[in-house]
Amino acid sequence: MPTPLPPPRGLAVPPDATVVVREVSKSFGSLVAVSEVSFAVGPGVTAVLGPNGAGKSTLLRVLCGLTKPSRGSVLVAGGNPRTDAGARARIGLVPQQDGVFERDSLYDFVDLAATLTGVQDRPAAVARALAAVELDPALDRPLGAFSKGMRQRAKIAAALVHDPSVLVLDEPLNGLDPKQRRQMIALFHRLGEAGRTVLVSSHVLEEVERFGTNVLVLAKGRLAAEGDFRAIRALMNDQPLTYRVGCSDPRRVAAELLREGLITSCTVTGDRTAEITTVDAITFRRRLPAICRAGEVRLEELSPLDADLESVFRYLVGP
Amino acid sequence: MTTPVTPSPADTVAASPAPRTPGALLALYRLVLRHQLTRGRLALFAAVTALSVALGWIIGRASDNQVQDAVDTVSALGLGLIVPVVALVLGSAALGTWVEDETLVYVWLRPVRRVAVAVAATAAAATVVLPVTVGALSLLAALGTGGDADAIIGTAAGTALGGLAYTAVFVALGLVIRRALLWGLVYVFIWEFFVARAGDGAARLSINSYAASILADLSGIEIRLADRGTVTSYVVLGLVSAVAVGLTTWRLSRANVA
Repeated sequence: MPTPLPPPRGLAVPPDATVVVREVSKSFGSLVAVSEVSFAVGPGVTAVLGPNGAGKSTLLRVLCGLTKPSRGSVLVAGGNPRTDAGARARIGLVPQQDGVFERDSLYDFVDLAATLTGVQDRPAAVARALAAVELDPALDRPLGAFSKGMRQRAKIAAALVHDPSVLVLDEPLNGLDPKQRRQMIALFHRLGEAGRTVLVSSHVLEEVERFGTNVLVLAKGRLAAEGDFRAIRALMNDQPLTYRVGCSDPRRVAAELLREGLITSCTVTGDRTAEITTVDAITFRRRLPAICRAGEVRLEELSPLDADLESVFRYLVGP
Repeated sequence: MTTPVTPSPADTVAASPAPRTPGALLALYRLVLRHQLTRGRLALFAAVTALSVALGWIIGRASDNQVQDAVDTVSALGLGLIVPVVALVLGSAALGTWVEDETLVYVWLRPVRRVAVAVAATAAAATVVLPVTVGALSLLAALGTGGDADAIIGTAAGTALGGLAYTAVFVALGLVIRRALLWGLVYVFIWEFFVARAGDGAARLSINSYAASILADLSGIEIRLADRGTVTSYVVLGLVSAVAVGLTTWRLSRANVA
């Protein structure tokens, strides 16, 4: 059983959290791979985003109990997965490495996972897991002869076979073709919607954006941000933010905004549109309608142009 | 994102008990077993058997003191070299291969007791080591002695107990250190084959000495530095096996798994 923890600093723990990571650090000699990371996540898909070497895989290994944190603690489904078999039984992991039991058949590989997790109706569970990843159970050649994409799907099937409440996927789309990627992303969404906690890591922004909006951003071993990436962006008021403004007289509005010192640049892109960059988004958004009203200009559109994940990531992690 | 801590299921709800996994031990045993037999190892087994048969045949044809020479050969070459080398090749690979190819995670993360993994790996390796070594060395003893029953039984018993102990030790070694095969060979050749034969003190710390003692007692043939007594030898070899399985279990529970 987990030992009582010291009061966490600044950790929001949702009532439905299934994974709680508190002030976790992990060092390998002098190399600090993960530094004082705290977060809590519940059902749904959460993407763990970060460049290569950011500490994503190490964090996921700590989370699954595969390695002991140098500091801090992890709770998954109420237990410490490093010491609590009950907690481990509720985790499904797709590790990053390509290795599988190469001499095993696909069925044997997934059936082993079912056996070792105490699944009652193994044939049915294996059939369901293989159907979920669209692999034919009758494939009888050894896994060593599988393509990388097929191995990856076999690993996902083995992680799913016992219907875990927490699914941890480390770069699960590696080796998959675009169609398979779409299928797997849809599968992860279905699992999230069905109440599973799905933690999926990637360093590919485009991929992460398709996993959903809830992200944990890691940079140099630290948790740079967490939550809905659009909300994260909205909170980053010290970073320039570019908006597209649609109105009946963009030049006039831009001139007034410049006069008030609310914007740093403006590009008029059409008769009724302009792209405006501000470092004070809150004041800008408050003042813009008033300026338009005062100038009898009709405001038609206000939309942020760089509130996407890539922008957030660039700001947090650096170019 | 700093809000007061709210108790959550992950904080307050005790983890559900681990599911019962009655087939786990057998599944793990089968898994290790089917990864034990490779072409290279089959070639090694064939070579070991051929060497044993050749030595037995030569002793049976050429020796003036067949039983003594055959038992000495079984003790020195069989228990001192063939058994540990075969046990090393198979034992160190039982779990060591999973560490090297990073597949241990597929077993480690499952809610299976660590001791079950250790026992399954040791039993699977021993399932191959024992028939190969007991068979080969019993053939050597049979051919060399002209069918002396005591020598054959002593060979089989000493090889089985010694083989089990070596296997358990090398399963643990494969998990504890990288390049276990290399370090294991260093141990076999330097310690078991040379140093332990130099004097009684070193021999007491040698698996070979206890296995040879069983051979000596059951065959009624005196073997140098093999006078530990049958019961003592059974107990020591059993203890070595148990401690090695315990070490494997302990190491598994503290492993950093890739």
